[in-house]
Amino acid sequence: MTDVWYVVAGWVVISGGMALYAVTLLRRLRGTRERSLKIRRGAEAAASDEGSE
Amino acid sequence: MKTRILGVVALLAVLAAAANALFVVPADLNQGDAQRIMYVHVPSAWLGYLSGGVTALAGIGYLWKRDLRLDAIALSAAEMGVMFTAFAIWGGMMWARPIWGVFWQWEDPRLTTTALLLALYAGYLLFRRLTDDPHRRAARAAVVGLVAAADIPIVHFSVEWWRGLHQGPTIGSPDKLLTPAAPSQFVIALLAMLGAFTLAWAWLMIRRYQLARIQWQLEEHGRLGRLSAARRAATSTSASVQASTEGAP
Repeated sequence: MTDVWYVVAGWVVISGGMALYAVTLLRRLRGTRERSLKIRRGAEAAASDEGSE
Repeated sequence: MKTRILGVVALLAVLAAAANALFVVPADLNQGDAQRIMYVHVPSAWLGYLSGGVTALAGIGYLWKRDLRLDAIALSAAEMGVMFTAFAIWGGMMWARPIWGVFWQWEDPRLTTTALLLALYAGYLLFRRLTDDPHRRAARAAVVGLVAAADIPIVHFSVEWWRGLHQGPTIGSPDKLLTPAAPSQFVIALLAMLGAFTLAWAWLMIRRYQLARIQWQLEEHGRLGRLSAARRAATSTSASVQASTEGAP
């Protein structure tokens, strides 16, 4: 393996790892926000049902 | 919106600094192209240190104020610490093989203490899974974070305190800040990568902190839900017991 391949391996893993982490983080954040919103809406609906009864 | 702008600026900064480091700055006279790995290895190591420092400071802040937002900052920084310390080790290994002839040497104090730092950060994240009580978890994690941070100065000064394969600081010591042991073009490229990576770290930290806060709210909601369900069950049980007692002859 020539030096260039070590450079490629070093850069690809580090920059690719950062990009992969960023994408995964954004997906996790979106999924968790949606879950939180769903729960909040469910709680609001339950509260309004109790209020109407 | 500001976080989104920071993300775009960080991405552009990383791309520009990477293009400069890979295609504009000439190859090192002695090390050849392998030296270009330093432009990602050194920033990763710096961010590993920074993450450890933030984890420790946020942990101290939590122990003082008992504010779970500080624990969320500590958790976010610890996750960054695992990632960037692992990147620093990987970059170091890719540089070491063509220059030293080996990927790794356990006898080298810098390498061994950095591996220990990675293990401590990973341990920090595993340790947090031992309890569900958020305050107990935060307090215990803060102590582990402080223990991990104690390794950072050992990692940094290991090249000055002990002998090993790893070279001494090129720009990172007070006497070399003004007269670095590298050409200015190399130093500027390295500083540009350090700045760009730090911007990316700041953006990732903000996003990870936002995730930690929402996860904590969901956890709290789940806990309250379980508590109210248990209360309802206890109330209905006591009501049925009371009814059966009243109905008994």
